Parts: sequence; structure tokens; C-alpha cells
Amino acid sequence: MNDFSSVAVSPVGVVRRDPRKEWMARNRLHPRHHEVISEGVGGEMGANGLMRRNPRQIGFIGPNGIKRIDRLKGNAVQTPNKRQSVVPEVVLPWHVVATADFYIFVVPDMVGGRLSGHDKDILGLAHRLQKEIAGQGAVVAVCFGEVKETQFELAGVDRLVHFAGAEFEGFAAEAKAAALAAMDERWAPKHWLFPDSIHGGTDLGSRLAAELGERPATQAWQVDLEKTVARGAGGSLDISRATPRILFLLEECAYPIDETRHQVLSLEMPEVQRPAPRLLDQGLVAVDPNEIPLAEAEFILSAGNGIHNWAQFHQTAKALGATEGASRVAVDDGFMPRSRQVGASGTWVTARVYIAVGISGAIQHLQGIAQCDKIIAINTDAGCDMVKRANLAVIDDSDAILSALMMLANEKLVEPGAVQGNTNKEDSDAA
Amino acid sequence: MAIDWLPSVLIVTLLILAVIGGVRRANLWRAGQPEKVDIVAGLLALPKRYLQDLHHVVARDKYMSQSHVATAGGFVLSMILVLLVHVFGVSNRLLAGALLVALGLMFVGALFIAKRRLQPPSRLSKGPWMRLPKSLLTFAVTFFVLTLPMAGVLPEGTGNWLLTMILSAGIIISLSELLFGMTWGGPMKHAFAGALHLAFHRRPERFGGGRSTGLKPAALGGEVHGVAKPSDFKWNQLLGFDACVQCGKCEAMCPAFAAGQPLNPKKLIQDMVVGLAGGTDANYAGSPYPAGKGEARALGSAKGGADNVITAGLVDADTLWSCTTCRACVEECPMMIEHVDAIVDMRRFVTMEKGQTPNKGAQVLENIIATDNPNGYAPGSRTHWAADQNLPLMKDKQQVDVLFWVSDGAFDMRSQRILRAFVTLMKAAKVDVAILGDEERDCGDVARRLGDDASFQSLAKRNLATLSQYKFNKIVTTDPHAYHCLRNEYSDLDVNGVLSQGASGQAVEVLHHTTFLNHLVEQGLLNFERFSDTRMTYHDPCYLGRYNGEYEAPRELLRSLGINITEMARSGYRSRCCGGGGGAPITDIPGERRIADMRMADVTETGAELVAVGCQQCTAMLEGVVEPRPVVKDIAEILVGQLIEEVH
Amino acid sequence: MPLNIVSLVSVGRHPQSGRSRRAEQDGRAVEMGLKLAGQQLSVVHVGNPDEPVLRQYAGMGLSSLTVLKQADRFDAVPVLQRYLEQKNIDIVLTGVRSESGESSGMVPYLLAHALGWPVVARVADIVCVEKGEAQVLLALPRGQRRAVRVALPFIASLDLAAPPARQSAFGVGLRAKIETIESIGEVDQIRVDWQEAEAKPRAKRLKTVKAKTAAERFKAATAKPQGDAGKVLINETTQQKAQAIFDLLLEEKVIR
Repeated sequence: MNDFSSVAVSPVGVVRRDPRKEWMARNRLHPRHHEVISEGVGGEMGANGLMRRNPRQIGFIGPNGIKRIDRLKGNAVQTPNKRQSVVPEVVLPWHVVATADFYIFVVPDMVGGRLSGHDKDILGLAHRLQKEIAGQGAVVAVCFGEVKETQFELAGVDRLVHFAGAEFEGFAAEAKAAALAAMDERWAPKHWLFPDSIHGGTDLGSRLAAELGERPATQAWQVDLEKTVARGAGGSLDISRATPRILFLLEECAYPIDETRHQVLSLEMPEVQRPAPRLLDQGLVAVDPNEIPLAEAEFILSAGNGIHNWAQFHQTAKALGATEGASRVAVDDGFMPRSRQVGASGTWVTARVYIAVGISGAIQHLQGIAQCDKIIAINTDAGCDMVKRANLAVIDDSDAILSALMMLANEKLVEPGAVQGNTNKEDSDAA
Repeated sequence: MAIDWLPSVLIVTLLILAVIGGVRRANLWRAGQPEKVDIVAGLLALPKRYLQDLHHVVARDKYMSQSHVATAGGFVLSMILVLLVHVFGVSNRLLAGALLVALGLMFVGALFIAKRRLQPPSRLSKGPWMRLPKSLLTFAVTFFVLTLPMAGVLPEGTGNWLLTMILSAGIIISLSELLFGMTWGGPMKHAFAGALHLAFHRRPERFGGGRSTGLKPAALGGEVHGVAKPSDFKWNQLLGFDACVQCGKCEAMCPAFAAGQPLNPKKLIQDMVVGLAGGTDANYAGSPYPAGKGEARALGSAKGGADNVITAGLVDADTLWSCTTCRACVEECPMMIEHVDAIVDMRRFVTMEKGQTPNKGAQVLENIIATDNPNGYAPGSRTHWAADQNLPLMKDKQQVDVLFWVSDGAFDMRSQRILRAFVTLMKAAKVDVAILGDEERDCGDVARRLGDDASFQSLAKRNLATLSQYKFNKIVTTDPHAYHCLRNEYSDLDVNGVLSQGASGQAVEVLHHTTFLNHLVEQGLLNFERFSDTRMTYHDPCYLGRYNGEYEAPRELLRSLGINITEMARSGYRSRCCGGGGGAPITDIPGERRIADMRMADVTETGAELVAVGCQQCTAMLEGVVEPRPVVKDIAEILVGQLIEEVH
Repeated sequence: MPLNIVSLVSVGRHPQSGRSRRAEQDGRAVEMGLKLAGQQLSVVHVGNPDEPVLRQYAGMGLSSLTVLKQADRFDAVPVLQRYLEQKNIDIVLTGVRSESGESSGMVPYLLAHALGWPVVARVADIVCVEKGEAQVLLALPRGQRRAVRVALPFIASLDLAAPPARQSAFGVGLRAKIETIESIGEVDQIRVDWQEAEAKPRAKRLKTVKAKTAAERFKAATAKPQGDAGKVLINETTQQKAQAIFDLLLEEKVIR
């Protein structure tokens, strides 16, 4: 029977049979029986090379002996009572670079020891460039210090260079730049790609570019092998130029890798000549959230006319680790300094989360928080403009809510182990 | 009198001393910068200015004006007659009798003044001013007794040594105050300096019912910009400071003083006097600057001199920045002193030389320079508010009847409601109107009041250049500040006469939207439904009322809706500022209260549920008051709600 | 011994109006220079000595300003290098990135490399300079700071987190002397071939659904968009409401 594709014609014309498939076709109870049976539904190659369709060969006999026609080609909604409800894990195909003809080096930011979205975009771009160049290239990620990332293989890292050691921990721009320069000498990569970011990518890239005497393209966002479009003049110009060897790239310059797995092989690291560091890291400085300028703060707890217990408000802000803001009225009444005023006549804020406590939402205030991502309103008046604007609004007395929030925040502080455990679990899940 | 020659010698001695003092004082004024003044015409106009313009201001307080007429009139008349009778020895019973009558008049007047000093209101200065009524009475009594023999009431040569001693003492005491003190810095200085100030006033247009409110342009490019030292003032400004009678009417009206901000216009002028004469403010006997939120300065700690920088020791910069430029003090001042000019002159130094405009001032000025609007919005987004208004642009029309000056309200969401309301009204009346669109720039009001006259002049020149490309008869604006700048301040920079020659060949009429709408209503172009019986009051914007004298048009508009306006205690020319002028919300000097809250309290006092306004700045300030409060609406917004639109 | 500090300034560009202005970061470089050296500070610009924006820098209280005169298309670095080599300089202050021209931010690095000095990028503050060593605070994202010590001489680029530039006083700027030094420029050869155009707005990346089949594509296209109106909690207990807020904070990772 030639009704399923257990028989294939190989390119050299030899007919090859697949005994496993034939066995599955014979065995009605085999779990993949219907798959094999219905494979030929689309038709088959006739003797003269035309596609032939066997109209009698539609469908397959289901487990209970009734003929089934699956027009969804296996995409039918899975009924939950089915045994195999676990979605089979997608296993992506390998992208193998056995021997690399050339290298493209990517120096990711590795914020918090992990690849950021920005880093992944750049790895994606590295692969796009690699494809355009003749021969097979490898995308190399160069990391420094502590690395927590576990998914390099899914992000498109063919080769990984990891400079570990105390001299690369913390702020070590000079040591890193020296290491990169040594790598450049050893491997002569086709391109160096850096994220143009405030997390260190720009700084490191600039140091390397100055060291190598290369003119980088900065704030680049449209890159191919020939041409690069980069922002200039404070982001107001697009400069089109020949693609240089060193590129500082903006976010979303390319799509990240998502269809292949990569080998993450290590690459030989040359001995790095380390001059005595001239910049001595003294460590991070503890910053009081209230010292952070309002415009920079990412989490603001803002108070308005509805606050009666100011001591409690300050305590809550401290417990949550939020930067304090205020409405104009609260400032006018002397409860908060003018520098804390949010709104059109105060500071325009860009926080990711903005909690407005007892602020009814004057038009000037709403203008000032227009760029915030998530707005939470705590107010007694359900009809006020702030509640209408908020992503989450809570209609209650501010005192009660603030004290409840403070308790929650303090509880979380008390059991840091639980929290730590939580994040660890996430890590292992991700792995 | 025992020694006949004694009184005349005393009088002449004190008179000579007074003349010497007068010359010295005049030299202090002459330390100021030159300013062209028509001396002869000024002196000739003096009696009229005094009797008509000044009296018009003083007459607002009937008690004081009548006392002053009696006292001052009596004194001037007496002094002339005293010179004739006692110095030149004209023995004429009629003259002597007239002198007795004049002295009697003065005595009565001085009695009333003395009576008010029994329980003086807080605005009055004490110290030497408490002594003045006594000196006046002494003068009247002394010369009355001295003249009695000459009038034939008493026989010649009456009196003994004791009486002679007493009368001589009386002459010395009274004339020391009234002649010597007049030119050597006593309370009577106000008469001497005041009279000359009237004659040589820097704004002669103010007399005879005129109005002169536009700030004078600063000279750019010199060694110093604005007023750093007292000697940087014009000489007649220094003279004006000397004219102050310390009546404290300015203090009573000043919104910043009432709000507890560190400004007292009277003290400021007295500090200027300290500056021009040198010394300290130790002798000042009036209310000090309120402490604001800082520490009050002790009297005597302010030191000044004609060539000392004012803000370094004499006046704190915060005092200058507290002013809202509402002109209430100028309106109230019986001596016609120009407080606002002086304050802005000194601000110019702080901004253009020191670069110390407080709080958001620096940022606002930088925005104005870089984007032509105070908040740094993209100049290309100026017309976004009118996307749905179908308003033609001047660029396309070239010639129209009315140019609508939109002002920076175009960027503010609240003010845009006023703009839209006004556009709806103009469309209903089929006005031939266009806007400048993105070609418009900030009028420069804020920059100028913040002391940056360079930016003001640059904006004004560029705005005038834009205007010169088009033809129009009227400019109408909803913003009284822009209205004031265009109407009163651009003329100084309008070298090509853009505003003096409109499309029809006549001068361009600059109008506030209430005036313009009132014309439309009078012409029957707009019809309104009667307004429901809401208790309503009207707040006079400073830049519309005091600056431009427009008190009636807004009220007439409201009346045309059948509204009976419940006036506030302070309305019309005595309207209290909303706190939004002069860049005050930007410099934001702390006080004990907010001016807007006080104004809203004035509104609430009338029981009004709605307060009508004619200014977007006032709207913003009054709406900034915490609710519950009366509703705030621009007149255009009220009108548009009642508009009967014709259906075609 | 007073510090010998040079602040490099360029012509800025207002992001809204596109007009020339005092550049935000360069203004901070001058401010920092004034803080460290007072009137001894020298301020240097490469370009056109008649540029009006220079007066805005001078208005910060400078009695004079040095301009190394050369045309726009010339490279600023060699000129600056020659100028700086002549002087006995302790610290050179610049902005991180200019607001006009290429905006590459490479100038401090190139100068540092040419002069053999260390470079500190994104400085929030130079706390003190003692015994030939400076204590520097670096600006990290979201208001965080890192302390670094560096030996003189060095180049520092000032971040926006540094103290803002003081107000520019019109009169002072007007009177400041602008000392022009003619310089032999080198044409920037690489830049000659570049094409410049007004920046195109970048499209936001759409959420792409990797759909292999029609059914998946259909599902993706018809899925209800999330998060249109905000959630309002009225009748829940106080505890539940607080928990809802807290959960959102955790979800947004602002509480750690």
C-alpha cells in the first residue's frame, strides 16, 4: 500500500521505505496511527510526477472504530480531559557553527547578570549581519564578572567569552576595555556591537573605539552590511553612513533570536595585559529615594489634599521605598517642599508606577503624570478625575489603606528568605 | 512782644536753613540718571496736578482729604501771610485778619489730624509722624497769638518776657518742623518733594485723566542692566521716593503684604529713601516687611547708600519678587509714586546682571528664549488646540478685520476652553477673523515682569515683524497680559509704526475680548438667553482694570444676560489681585497665606456661586483654590452657554 | 594651589524648537567647573566665535571664553588636543553627548586617549579634589550613584544628574570677552560621505505572534485587547484593596 508517506523517493531515485511508519499504519492502537494515516491526505505523487489525490482515502478510523476526518490538521482545540494535556515542549533546532570563518562580537550590558531585552536585540542583529557576510560566522558574547544568565543558547550566542574575576566586578570599565582590546587583537572580529545604553555599553564601547582608533556609529538603529542609519544631533537627525566596524545600537534595532538554539561554546581568551587601574571603584552609594530627583524616580508615592496624617505618609513612602511627590495644594499648604510638586507647574514625572493618595486630579496634575506607565489612585471620591485616569483605583480612606500597605511592606521585609526563595524558584523555572 | 525783631529773625534763619536743605536734597536726587523733563511746563502744571489729579486720589478718603485741605491750605496761606506780616512787616489789619482766619482754618484741620492720631490705623507710620499734628497746632497757636496785636485785637507790645520766651520756643518748634524739617528729612518733606514730584513726574500722561501703565524699556548693552544702586534710578524716580507721606494706603491694598509675603510697598519706598540719602532704616516707624517664612529683619539692619547695591544689604531680593505687579499700590498712592516701575527696575538687575531669578524663573526664561513660550512647548504645536476650530491663518488670508491674538493659553488645556468659547462667539457673530497660528510668539509679559527685558524686547520686535506682514484693523485677545503688552508696551519698540497704521489707515485697535464682545452685543450681532438666577460676582483682572481702565465692558456683558452682579467689597480699581501676575506664581515667594485663597474668600463673602473672570491667569489661580468653592468661569464661557445660535 | 580646569562647551539644540541653546550637559560642565575652580575656570569652544549661544554660557559668570576658531566640517579633537597639551590642566569637563552634529559622545574618549589620561563618564558630581586625587560620583540609572576615585589629570563627562547650570545673566554674557584662537583644522574625512536627514520617527515594535497556522493567526487577531479601563475597587475590605495595590507593585517590580 502506497497510501502514506512511508515510502519516499530519495534524490538519487532510490525508493526508501520507512518500516517504522508502516508498522504504525498497521497498528490502529498506536498513538500516532492517525497522524501517519492522514499524512497522505494532501495527495501523493503519481507515476508521471503529478500530484494525485485519493478521494477514498480521507480521514482515519478513530480509536472507537468510527471514521474521523480531521480538517484542522491536528490544530483542533485540545479537550482538557484528554490524557496528553501537557503541551510538548518546543525543542528548537540547533544552529551549529562548527568552525567559524569570522566572528561578530557582542558586548551585552548584562544588567543584573542577565541579558536585557536590548542585549537580545543586538544578538539578533549580530546574526542578521552574520548571514549577510559570505562564509559562516559565529556570534560571540563577551561577558564580565558575575553572570546569572542561563539562556544564552536561546538568545543566539554561538560562542561565549566570560571574563570572571574580581578585577571585572563592579565598576571596571578600564579593565574591561583592555580585555576587549586583547580580544580584538586575537580574534579580529568583523564587527563589535555594543548596546548604546546608560548601563555601561556606551562607555565601554567608546573606550574600545578610542583604543582601536575606530570611528563607531553611535545610536544606530537601522543596520545592514553596507549602510547604517544612526541618530545624530540629539536624536533629531538620521545620519546614513557606511557601516563601520564598531556599532553602538539602540533598542529594537533588530528582532531577537527565537527560532534556533545556539551552542554557547567558549572561545580562547588571550592573556590580557592589565595596566594599573586609574579609576578606583569605591562601591555603590546608598541613595535615599527622596534624594532622587522626581523626574528620574521610577516609583512615586504622591500626596494631595486628602492626606491628614503626614507622618504616616512619610513612613509609608519609606516602607515602600518610594520617592515622595505632592500635589500643588499639599505644597501650598506647606506640608511638602516645592521641589516635590508634580504637575504642569511642578515637575513632569516619568515614573513607572505612580500612586496618587488623596489627589483629585486637577488638569495640571494629570498633565504632569501623563508619561507614567501605571497609575494607582487612592481616594474617597469615586467620581474624581484621578480615579478615571488610574489603572487601579481604590475608594477608601487614605489612612486605612496606607497603614495596610505599610504592614504589607513591613511583612515582606521581615521574611526576606521567602522572597529570596521565590525569585530563586523563578530562576529555576526559567532554566 | 518784648523783642519785636526776634520772630522775624527766627523765621528768616529757619527759612535760610530750609533753602540750604532744599539744595542739598536736590543734589541727592541729582545723583540719579538723567531723564528729560520739561521743567517749566511741569512747574506750570503743578497747581492743576495738585488740585485736580492728586486731590482726586486723596478725596477717596473724605475725612482725610478735608482735614488735609484745611491744614495744608491754611498752612500755605498762613506762611505767605506770615512772611508778609512778620518778616516784611507789612502792617495791614486786613492782612493780619486774613492771617488769623488762615491760622484758624489750619488749627481746625490740624485738630482733626491730631484726632486721627489718637488711635492711628496700623498702616500709618508712627515716630515723627505722631509729632506732626502737635507741630501744626503749635504753629497755628503761636502765630495766632503773635498776630493778635497786629490785627488790633490786642494792643501792641502786649506780653512779657515769659510770653516772649514761650512764643519764641513755639516759633522754633513749629518752624523747625514745618520749614527746616521740610527739606532736612522730616515728615513735612512730603510737601516739598511731593510738589516737585508732581511737577517732574516720570509719567506726565497720568495727569488730566490719562493712563500710563506700560513699563519703560530697559537700555541694553551698557555697563549695568536695570537698577543696581539707588543712583541707577532716574533722578525723578528718586524724587518720587522722597515724596512718600507714609500714609500706608499701598500697604493696606498690597496683596503680597496681606498674604504675609516679605513685601510692604511703603517700607520699600522708605528703603529707597534710605538708599538715596544713605544710612539705615532704624528711624522707620511703620509696619515692617512681613516675615514670610523666613526670619524678620530687625530695624536698623538694612543699610544703604546712593552707590551701594540695593539687594546687598538694603532690600532682600525676595521682597522684589513678592510683587504681583497688580498696581494696587500705584492706584492708591496719593503722591503718585510708581512702585511697580521701581520694583521691575530692580528685578532687571537681579535677572540680567546677577542671574538670580528665583525658583522656576530661570527655567521659564530659558524656555522663553529657546521656544518663545514659558513652558518650553514645541512652537509647532501652538495651533493644535484649534485643529477642530476651522480658524483661518493670517498667512493664508493676508488681510482681515480682526486678528485674534491667541496668547500662550493655546498650550494650556484649561485656557483652551476659554479660547474655544470665544471662537464660537466670534463665529456666531460672523466676525472676519484670523489667527497668526505658529507664527505667534509669547507676548513677552512674563519675561519683562521677571526682569528679562532683553527677551521681552526680542519677542516684541519679532512679533511686530510678523504683524507687519499682514493687514488688519483690530487685535483681540482673551489674555489681559498680552492685551496690555500689545496696547501699551509694544509702542516703545514699534519703530516702523506697525500698530499705528492698520488696514484702514487708522491705528490698530487693540481690544480685550470682553470689550470686543460688548461691541458685538451692542450691535445686536449676538443674542443670548437670560442667565438663570445664579448669584454671581465679577473679578476684575488687574491688567484689564487698573492697567487699562476696562471695568465696564465685562459688567455690561453680564448685565446683558440679565445677571445682577453682586460686587465684592474690593472691586473695580480696588480689585484684589489673584496672585498670578508679575511672574509671582513662577518666583513663588512663600508667605503665610496664598493670595488666590484670599481672593476666593472675597468671592465667597458675597455668597456668589459663580465668579466671572476675564483672564486665563486669574481663572487658573482661582481654580487652584481647594474645593468646595464657587465655580470660576471666563465671561466668554458664560456667554457661550447662553448663546442663541441662528438656525439656517 | 587652585585647580586648572577647562570646560568644553558646544552649541546645544532645544528638543522642541530645534533652536540653538546652551547645551544641558555642557552647561553642567561649566557649572561644575565654576564650583571647583571659580573664576579660574577656562571655558573652551571649537567653532564659530560669533555664535550667539556662547553668550549664554558666558552669562553664567565668565569674564572670558576661548574659541578655537574653525569651520563646522572640521574635526574638533586634534585642535583641542593641541590646545590642551599646551596647558598644565588638572581636569577637563565635557558633556556626555553633544546636542548637535554627530552626537557620538566620543570627544572625551578620543581626547583622553590622545592625552593618555583616564576618562570618567556620566559624572553626577565631583565631590572633592585632594592630594591630586578626585572623589567622583557616577550617575547610574534611576538615581543610583557609584563613588570612584581618580588621579589628576583626567577628563570627566557630566551626566544630566549633575547639578544644573545656573541661570545665564544677559548683561554678564554680553560683556564677556571672547578670545579667538585661529587654528589649523583638519577636514573630517569620514564625515564627508555621510547623508543627513531629519530623524524619522521609529515605529514601535508590535507584538508579533509567531503563528504557523491559520487558526493560530485567527486566534491572535481576534484576541480581546487587554487593559482598556482601569479597575476600581470600592466594596472590598481595606485589606483586599491594599493587597491589590501591593500585588501591582510587585508585578511592576518596584518593590524588591
